[in-house]
Amino acid sequence: MQADVFMQRNVSLERLTYYRNCYNVDGVVSVTYDPAESVDFTLFEEFTVDRRGFMKSAAGMLGGASLAGIAGCGGCGGSDANTIKIVSSLPRTGSAQGQTNTIVNGIKMAIDDYNGEVAGLKIDYTDMDDATAAAGKWEPTAEAANARKAVADEDVMVFIGPYNSGAAKVSMPILNEGGLLQISPACTWPGLTKKQEGDTSGEPEVYRPANRITFCRVCPTDDVQGPLSADYAKNVLKAKKVYILDDKELYGAGIAGLFEAQCKKIGLQVLGRQSIVPTQQTFSEIAGTVAGEKPDFVYFGGTTQTAAGRLIKDLRTARVACPIMVPDGCYEQAFLDSASAQDLENVYATIGGTDPSLLKGPGEEFVKKYKEKYQKDPEAYAVYGYEAGKVFLEAVKTVGKKDREAILKACLATKDFSAGAIGTWSFDADGDTTLQQLTISKIIDGKFVPQVSQNK
Amino acid sequence: MTPLLASDALAAFGQFALIGLISGLLYALIALGYTMVYGIVELINFAHGDLFMLGCMLALSFCYIFNARTEDDAGTTAAFMAIAVMLVAVPLFCAGLNLAVDRAVYKPLRNAPKLAPLVSAIGVSFIFMNIGLFWRGPTDITFPKLLLGETNLVAGSGLRFTSKDLMVVLVTLPTMLGLTLFVRYTSLGKAMRATAQNPTAAQLMGINVDRVIAATFAIGGALAGVASVVYGLYFNTVNYQMGFQNGLYAFTAAVLGGIGNIPGAVLGGIVIGLVKALGGAYIGAEWSEALIFGILIVILLFRPNGLLGARVREKV
Amino acid sequence: MKLRALLAYWPVVVFVALAALPFSQDKQVALYVQQLIPLFIFALLALGLNVVVGYTGLLHLGIAAFFGIGAYTAGILTVQAFPFQQSLPVVLAAAVVTSVLIAVATAAPTLRLRGDYLALVTMGFGLIITFVIRNLESITDGTRGLNPVTPSLLPGMDDPNLRKFKLGPGWGQHWYDYPYFYFLCLGLLGLTNLFLRNLERSRLGRAWVALREDELAASCMGLNPARLKLSAIALGACIAGLAGALYAIAQQTTGGPESYDFNRSMIALCCVILGGLGNRPGVILGVFILIGYDIVLTPILDTETQQESFQTLFPEWMRGKQYLKVSGWRLFIFGAALILIMRYRPEGLLPAARMKHELHPEEGERPESEGERPA
Repeated sequence: MQADVFMQRNVSLERLTYYRNCYNVDGVVSVTYDPAESVDFTLFEEFTVDRRGFMKSAAGMLGGASLAGIAGCGGCGGSDANTIKIVSSLPRTGSAQGQTNTIVNGIKMAIDDYNGEVAGLKIDYTDMDDATAAAGKWEPTAEAANARKAVADEDVMVFIGPYNSGAAKVSMPILNEGGLLQISPACTWPGLTKKQEGDTSGEPEVYRPANRITFCRVCPTDDVQGPLSADYAKNVLKAKKVYILDDKELYGAGIAGLFEAQCKKIGLQVLGRQSIVPTQQTFSEIAGTVAGEKPDFVYFGGTTQTAAGRLIKDLRTARVACPIMVPDGCYEQAFLDSASAQDLENVYATIGGTDPSLLKGPGEEFVKKYKEKYQKDPEAYAVYGYEAGKVFLEAVKTVGKKDREAILKACLATKDFSAGAIGTWSFDADGDTTLQQLTISKIIDGKFVPQVSQNK
Repeated sequence: MTPLLASDALAAFGQFALIGLISGLLYALIALGYTMVYGIVELINFAHGDLFMLGCMLALSFCYIFNARTEDDAGTTAAFMAIAVMLVAVPLFCAGLNLAVDRAVYKPLRNAPKLAPLVSAIGVSFIFMNIGLFWRGPTDITFPKLLLGETNLVAGSGLRFTSKDLMVVLVTLPTMLGLTLFVRYTSLGKAMRATAQNPTAAQLMGINVDRVIAATFAIGGALAGVASVVYGLYFNTVNYQMGFQNGLYAFTAAVLGGIGNIPGAVLGGIVIGLVKALGGAYIGAEWSEALIFGILIVILLFRPNGLLGARVREKV
Repeated sequence: MKLRALLAYWPVVVFVALAALPFSQDKQVALYVQQLIPLFIFALLALGLNVVVGYTGLLHLGIAAFFGIGAYTAGILTVQAFPFQQSLPVVLAAAVVTSVLIAVATAAPTLRLRGDYLALVTMGFGLIITFVIRNLESITDGTRGLNPVTPSLLPGMDDPNLRKFKLGPGWGQHWYDYPYFYFLCLGLLGLTNLFLRNLERSRLGRAWVALREDELAASCMGLNPARLKLSAIALGACIAGLAGALYAIAQQTTGGPESYDFNRSMIALCCVILGGLGNRPGVILGVFILIGYDIVLTPILDTETQQESFQTLFPEWMRGKQYLKVSGWRLFIFGAALILIMRYRPEGLLPAARMKHELHPEEGERPESEGERPA
């Protein structure tokens, strides 16, 4: 009905879009607008009046007041024109907690760099959890609820997260439709942004219902990690026959697939590939099968949360003594705790990016400051939390005002960014970082010791 | 010396069967707790698996207290001490806890509709899981390797049967045998069988039914305790969800063998262990659980009282 | 007495109030009203379970399987990976039909089992389904879930753009956005409620109750227990399948198989028992309390407990631990609620009149017949 008012006055579609933005109605815009375009504000007023008039006649206020009581909880806060909110959605309960603690610390350090204020806007940070205590890992309902909350709160300018690629599948469409910038510090599944060979599920368009990009990430993707791991197995560890295991999840099975593809390309013999059921308490049968194949290298695509430690223990029990390699989902303290030091001998872990101990220049500075502030070594992804915070805040600085759409555009257009701690990089057209690094560490005495760090 | 099992394939089959047998014995030990309680009070004690899990966590605490390890001599002495203490204290703890839960939760519901104690048991299971979660967090924790499983006792046969495997056999079989003898020949055992058959008649004959039920819960708990120590020493991993998974297997074992039937539970446990190991190896580990529950359903359809269970005439 | 008669219409009042909520102009209200959608869906699931457990007295431990079947049917019929791309009515109908067919096919051979054994079979079936979903990767996409599950509203028609109907904050533009989907779920919940209310008073409903009270007596009275049990399980699966399809659409993904595991069945059962076995308003209340605590209240409180100001109230070593989070106490609270209810109020919070009378006969309340009680 409001649209009719506009139509009578022959307002262009572009302009309509602009009004919707003014109101921040659904936020979803596929049409761009020119802010310099002159605006007829009389229409604007009419629109408000008309809507109020309608509302009076609609007997819709019932129950609203009562719920407002519940909803008016603390922490939700009131809307303030001079505050912008950053929210992060990471698994804060469960075993990924060690890793996400440092990501959150990284984000906080980025905010501290600006003393909590950028372009005259106060920065408010909310740390949301997409895991439940019982599951010990992320849950789709929690992730979806976090995304909806972020979209609905007009003060929120960025959604940092999630940590798991599977969770990204849930939040990406919601945030995309809500037109909210999403920066992931740790999702590495390439299909989130780029079409994968042989994919039939319509990735990545399915995550972009508004037909544009709102998701970007500061961490290198698995299409770097998987292949380079295979190269390392062949060239450095002199492996010939490999066995591949995975946890069947988006991330784990995905990276195992990339590893397998590279094996075939470079002539490594793949003895077999099996998926584990992470809820099973023992993997003796799988371990027995692997031992029977006598591989000289085993790759497991999975995370600490999907029983990497338990699996490695069972493999060792079944006398699989060869090198085992795991991807960045296991690059954390919790993984080292989940199996004994004897079992973790000769285990390699890779991470797309750099180990904190290898960072140079501003990165080294970051690690030093981090240690001073939190009295602890940062885990591998801390610096990516920092980077995500930084790249967003720099974009706000460029835009200079509280405007979701403009910040989104500015952030995605980031080129040759060097204000962070991991070097100079840009976002490419899909929202991926141009930085393509990989570090391979060996576990020695219950610690990650970097062996190689290379660029693709 | 020629290997006992000449071909590789046969040796592999034997090895998987052995894995299945060993884990089956453990499931059987847990299953006994389910079956005994069901036999007497007709309650599926959903919390039993989680009791087992708490036992495991307590056993882990003893490892820490004694600083048990196998790297040096002092640690090895500590390890033996720790195992000895565990084998006494953990079953006692589990027995006491099971008894306390029976007193506090199930006893007031003795005459309530059958759903009430069952639902309460689910509730107790949730609470135990939550305690386990708070105690050790949500991920796997390593249980120190106190027993070396390196020496193959049957070297040359093509199979691997280590001292660790032997330990499982040496603990579980005598325990089951002892239980069978206990139920068959002691007066408390006879009282248990009588109560299981007909509680009212048992009471009329002067049996203190309450005490018999309490004893059943205590014995079932103690068995879970023994199982948890053996499990920890054998599998070396502890997490708060292990009770649910292993409890499910054990419970399936109890039903498979004929719930309420002690030899049946042992048979059921071994069958489950074998199905899981062989199915996992030859059909695919992803399907092994589906296979177990599929077999459960089929057995229930064709022999509703399990492999060894007696057919019960319906009471009117 | 007149007031009492009026009070009997409270479900209608609640329904109207819920329907009016999205018209509130408060943004915060809109944010929280959105979160009622999963509650409505779980209420449907619990109502389905209630048909089996509450009316007919069969302990069913695998209702989540049908929830999953419904969700995955919806997923398969909508995602781009398959050539179907059906619309909402087709999807819902297919989800219901598939659930019912599978329920009948699997339940028919098990009907002669009694009591605990039937419960075990349903449990086994529920567990198997999660593995089937997990392992049939070419159909279900393994643990990854099918998405996006966004069927069109009507067959052969473009989705209407609803943005011009915006009457409150947060109103979306697609029919599957808030609040249109909210209205849809609420409406379906209301209809199901109405249907079950009439069913309770029908010949079939009374026969179920007779079966629950005494199977032997009921069969002596000429009722066919097998057929009655089958119809109850089929209807339960039907409602659960419908709920599953709505769940997938609400999330826009089927989620992984772990969304339909044993835990889900248990929690649905907890809701039914907490609220009041066999009593619809009770069951819905149970869902609102337990699931509401779980997915609405917990995240709100956890955002608070996550703040540094709260965490620093505790010594260093306790910070960030499970017990400093409300969600950490989830299982404890569920468990304690079940135990306490069973101990002190086994008939549930809002008991059915007959149950109440059975369990507390000393109160001397005249058992009303189910049919006369307006609901």
